[in-house]
Amino acid sequence: MVKNVIHLEDVKRYYLVGDFFVKALDGVSLDIERGEFTAIMGPSGSGKSTMMNLIGCLDTATSGNIFIDGENTAGLNETELAYIRNKKVGFVFQQFNLLGKESALRNVETPLLYAGMKPKERKRKAIEALEKVGLSDRMYHRPNELSGGQKQRVAIARAIVSNPAILLADEPTGALDSKTGSQIMQLFEELNAEGRTVVFVTHDRDLGNRCRRQIHIRDGRIEE
Amino acid sequence: MFWENVKLALSAMKSSKMRTALSLLGIVIGVGAVVAILNLGDSASQNITKSLNAGGTDIITIWTQPDERTEDVFTSEFGNTLKNSVEGIDSVLPQMMSSGAIRSNKKSVGAQIMGTESLYFSAQNLSFDKGRAYTLEQNINNKEVVVIGYNIAQELFENENPIGKRVNFILQSGAVKSYEVVGVLAKKEQSYTMSFDNSVFIPFNTFTTKLVNNDVVSSYVVKTNKNYDTIEVSDNLNRFLDTSVGNDSYQSFSPAMITTMANEVTATLSLFLAAIAGISLLVGGIGIMNIMLVSVAERTKEIGIRKALGASPSVIRGQFIVEAVTLTLLGGFLGIIFGSFISLAVTNLAGWTLTLSYKSFIVAVGFSMFVGIFFGWYPAMTASKLDPIEALNYE
Ligand SMILES: Nc1ncnc2c1ncn2[C@@H]1O[C@H](COP(=O)(O)OP(=O)(O)O)[C@@H](O)[C@H]1O
Ligand SMILES: [Mg+2]
Repeated sequence: MVKNVIHLEDVKRYYLVGDFFVKALDGVSLDIERGEFTAIMGPSGSGKSTMMNLIGCLDTATSGNIFIDGENTAGLNETELAYIRNKKVGFVFQQFNLLGKESALRNVETPLLYAGMKPKERKRKAIEALEKVGLSDRMYHRPNELSGGQKQRVAIARAIVSNPAILLADEPTGALDSKTGSQIMQLFEELNAEGRTVVFVTHDRDLGNRCRRQIHIRDGRIEE
Repeated sequence: MFWENVKLALSAMKSSKMRTALSLLGIVIGVGAVVAILNLGDSASQNITKSLNAGGTDIITIWTQPDERTEDVFTSEFGNTLKNSVEGIDSVLPQMMSSGAIRSNKKSVGAQIMGTESLYFSAQNLSFDKGRAYTLEQNINNKEVVVIGYNIAQELFENENPIGKRVNFILQSGAVKSYEVVGVLAKKEQSYTMSFDNSVFIPFNTFTTKLVNNDVVSSYVVKTNKNYDTIEVSDNLNRFLDTSVGNDSYQSFSPAMITTMANEVTATLSLFLAAIAGISLLVGGIGIMNIMLVSVAERTKEIGIRKALGASPSVIRGQFIVEAVTLTLLGGFLGIIFGSFISLAVTNLAGWTLTLSYKSFIVAVGFSMFVGIFFGWYPAMTASKLDPIEALNYE
């Protein structure tokens, strides 16, 4: 029985490019406890995103086991993976990845829509999440009417709205200036202080140093 | 979830109006043809029944096609021969037919000129707007009297009362003959064999002796006995005529034949429309598949985001099928309007009254949904199978 919220056992992710394999992840084992605030650091192309995508169930490993909130994700089909993405993980991306035609509120409601929640309940929870990230006055704005920092706040609200076990953020400050990035970092710190497990990819040493735990990746391997 | 998908579909359609309109064209034409087939079928059968009743379901008309061999046969006495040889006939009235111009003191119109017995009007169940039929006596004595159809009366006399007035027949030879109007027929539904409203009627004997010097009967109006089946009598009559004069020297029109003929015409028309419907729906369906594939390709990133947020393959598939069906239903709705207009145009041309059947609307909606699901399936499957990461990183 795995009790850690994230548990990786010798995880490999190879890409077949032309005639040979790119070893994006080459045997990673990792444990992250509930409530931890972890920074993933490493040079570009070292495999950080690959690992995040695997933990977020957006991708499947070539070999090895990944346990999310105690459940082994190896061998799950697309529908089962979609369920985990919906319930167990909130994902924040560098490029925000908001639905461009929808309002901030509708963006935040979307995961709840896929969870089958009723419209009223959905709206109430989405407003709550937007209040938490300090954007309740921008609910009906579309992404193109928001600044970079505001977009990322919407994305974070969307990631926490279904109260997932893990909050994953792949370079969430990468597209922001350092001041805005620091504010976003502060928001993650607050969310962590409330007990959420946060895994956070960054290039920025200062931001990395604000995390309790740092994991360094190079060439698809962990060197803690 | 379903209404969310409909909303998504409508917003997608709004953002590319021109493309949507073009891709709908095939569906509109296809569904329009389906609606037209069903409406025309219904209108045709209703109007056939109406025309049959107008022509008299108990009337058989035999048009003669005399040649040297048979021109002596088709006399007015031959009518009696027919009546005595075939069972179930009440009366056989010979009639002569010609066309020509008729003039009042104001105007001139073209008309069908009939030479008929005085009993003709009651046999055909015709009623009079003004005046009455000429008498047996007027017929026997070759009187120059005329009964005119409703439209002819309108044309020649407008609001005046034509009874007692005179009309002039202008013959091919250039000679002019003056006749007294004794009756005006009431307006009547057009039948398959006659347009009563545009005809004038003069006594049979007057016609053969004074108007044209010819006594080869143009047609026989056979009134069947009400205890007999008209179709059966008609068959027996045909059999008798085939043996006595040969089947190429007459044409007989009975309600049965008219029904068969009309059914053949509608069947041909329906087949033609069905071919159009089939081709259009196929082309339309491929158009839908095409626009949906474009839509899926354009929204790859959106699909990636939705998958990342927990949309399962079946949810994504549902989204795009609902979009395709919304699209085809819109096309179907426009097709119903289009098809109703076709039906209106055709029935106007044929002189029928249009009956719009709700059945056709249900079938149209069914067809639209079917095309949407059938041709939307592949694009929707494509969308649902996209790899989340590849879709997210798509630019
Ligand atoms: N779809 C792919 N096909 C082939 N190679 C890939 C693919 N995705 C990532 N890679 C390779 O895997 C390695 C790790 O990439 P990534 O995890 O994105 O690195 P990081 O996020 O640390 O910059 C890189 O060498 C990258 O080129
Ligand atoms: Mg990366």
